Amino acid sequence: MIKRLLAATSIITLCLASGASAAEKIEMWVRSGIGESFKKVVEAYNASHENQVAMTEVPFSELVQKYATAIAGGQAPDALSLDLIYTPAFAAAGQLEDLTDWANALPYFNSLSPSHVKLGTYQDRVYGLPVSVETSIFAWNKDLYKKAGLDPEKAPTSWEEIEANAEKIRALGDDIYGFYFSGGGCGGCMIFTFTPLVWGSGADILSADGKTATLDTPEMRKAVDIYRSMVKKDLVPASAASDNGVNFLTFTNGKIGQQSIGAFAIGTLVTENPDINFGVTLIPGVNGGTSSFAGGDNFVITKGTKKIEAVKEFLEYTYSMDGQKVMAKYGSLPTRGDIADKVLEGLDPRMQVGIKAIEVAKTPYTLQFNDLINSANGPWASFTNAAIYGDDVDGAFSNAQSEMQSIIDTGQ
Amino acid sequence: MAGPGPGKALPVRRRRRRSQWRGLLYIAPAMALVIVFFVMPVLFTGWMSLHNWPLLGSPRWIGFNNYFRMANDARFVSALRFTTYYTVIVTIAIFAVAFPLAIFVEKHRRFVGAYRTIIFLPVVVGLASASLLWVWLANVDSGFIGPALKALGLVEKSPNLLATFDSAFFTIIVMVVWKIAGFTMIILLTGLQAIPPELTEAARIDGADRWQRFRYLTLPLMRRTIALALIISVTGSILAFDQFYIMTSGGPQNRMISVVYYIFNQSFVSFNLGYGAALSIALLAILVIISVMQLRLLRIGEDRP
Repeated sequence: MIKRLLAATSIITLCLASGASAAEKIEMWVRSGIGESFKKVVEAYNASHENQVAMTEVPFSELVQKYATAIAGGQAPDALSLDLIYTPAFAAAGQLEDLTDWANALPYFNSLSPSHVKLGTYQDRVYGLPVSVETSIFAWNKDLYKKAGLDPEKAPTSWEEIEANAEKIRALGDDIYGFYFSGGGCGGCMIFTFTPLVWGSGADILSADGKTATLDTPEMRKAVDIYRSMVKKDLVPASAASDNGVNFLTFTNGKIGQQSIGAFAIGTLVTENPDINFGVTLIPGVNGGTSSFAGGDNFVITKGTKKIEAVKEFLEYTYSMDGQKVMAKYGSLPTRGDIADKVLEGLDPRMQVGIKAIEVAKTPYTLQFNDLINSANGPWASFTNAAIYGDDVDGAFSNAQSEMQSIIDTGQ
Repeated sequence: MAGPGPGKALPVRRRRRRSQWRGLLYIAPAMALVIVFFVMPVLFTGWMSLHNWPLLGSPRWIGFNNYFRMANDARFVSALRFTTYYTVIVTIAIFAVAFPLAIFVEKHRRFVGAYRTIIFLPVVVGLASASLLWVWLANVDSGFIGPALKALGLVEKSPNLLATFDSAFFTIIVMVVWKIAGFTMIILLTGLQAIPPELTEAARIDGADRWQRFRYLTLPLMRRTIALALIISVTGSILAFDQFYIMTSGGPQNRMISVVYYIFNQSFVSFNLGYGAALSIALLAILVIISVMQLRLLRIGEDRP
């Protein structure tokens, strides 16, 4: 009897020991265009842990379809840093691992970025947890402000002011422009940088329950007019009209006076373009107020992966003080509210603006985000191009409004 | 020949049957390829088109609902309209360039080999690479066309060619002609070279001028070649996708969504594989009808010797 017991325990210990010592290799995908922060935290993790993360970067516009086809083909990675707006759709399709019990056991679960957790939750179960937080903010080039005779330390607070500043900056020369945006049908860029203009003043493009398209508002008309006027006055480079998001960070070339960018870009600018002297502030609404788009990525685990413990260990590392510090250094805002101040200590003070933006930020909750907003051929993407560059503004509004509504209706 | 007796007929029939089996054996590899890579996928696509088949999750039988949906799909209709427009324009453009080129390189002149090679070179470039190359050429700031026009003083400000429908469409047509015309030229060249020189000689002696020789001799004798080139060109244009996806992402304002692009969007962006399959079957039917019509119009197959 005792012999048998001994044998059993030794086998169990053996199993445990071998389970712990066998290093796992986690396959993980991340979308491109979110800066260096995730890459750096993976490097830091691989350097200090036995388990290793093999990261694959996938173009941001193709991540959803690549992941979906990979799942359908049984080739999906173990885990994914997924644009948070897609978590509901994949959770609804039953392709993600349920993380509820583990998440509730995390001592800091309640201080994780609330909008991420909200989008990661589907029918009261948690499928996604925040990995990176990004907000949209307004940036201006202080050197160009100075050259144009503007006060480089004074942040613009209204769009009238931004337009007037843009005119002065444009007057500096041939290839210096006052403003930039990716206007070639980049739905993702424009929801990120352009909708805050209407959100800040209380309007929205979808009703609160996400079942009615409310595109045609006086606020949206005004926002479109502001952009149209800047394009007409030649304050925006001609290349903006066909930029489908590839040149979203044109601001980094130092020849753009003002642009709405993401908090990730602060990290990119500070670490990779240190010669650009810039300031950041919240994006003003068309009728006062400020707003921002709270974006970023959720961490999701593909259903049925065998390496779930290793994946959890990696995620706990990114939530640790070390992990959070590495990510913040490269521009991702802290995902843990309880240690945010400590994490940002000693980092660039402009990151604080990105944190402040979280308070006024919005994130649309809809299962059809890709179809409605992000798809290069969706109604929102073509609306932004047609309304700002086209000849028929009314037509652009009515087409997009009806197409959005019909997509919402057929999706019900 | 005397009527064969019953005793003699049997071995003949048996021999014929045996040779039929042997013939079947010879074409079996080709048949196997066609069945595995064409017939079976088409049947499976047809099967999928009768389902609500999401990319994720389980398919559900819905009968012909996907086909009913197609009939009321305004975006599909506009994709069809754009594809037709593109096919007509690009086919005319390709022939307008390729025919003179074929006549030019058919004659034996100095360096004709070099001309043929140069004109054919773009054909060996992949369509996707060619599209990327032209995206750069058409770039407003760092490209070639816009800045060159500006440097020559033809325009005041470098134009963004891909920003408006007309200029972007024109750019794509020029790119496709540059890329494809060489191939059509080679096909037409083989047709031209197959015309016996004695016929042209005889027509010349009869006093036919250059245009008459072309109209009443060259064209009729090239009917089969033209049919081949036309079908390849029309089919290729109807299936166009890469250039719109890469050069304009279907823009400006979604006005360059071809049918294949729409099928791609439905299947892999909106994840409606079933509807995408139904659209593919419809496109296959359209292509078959168009090809049959072209063969009829050019009366191919009736004049077999």
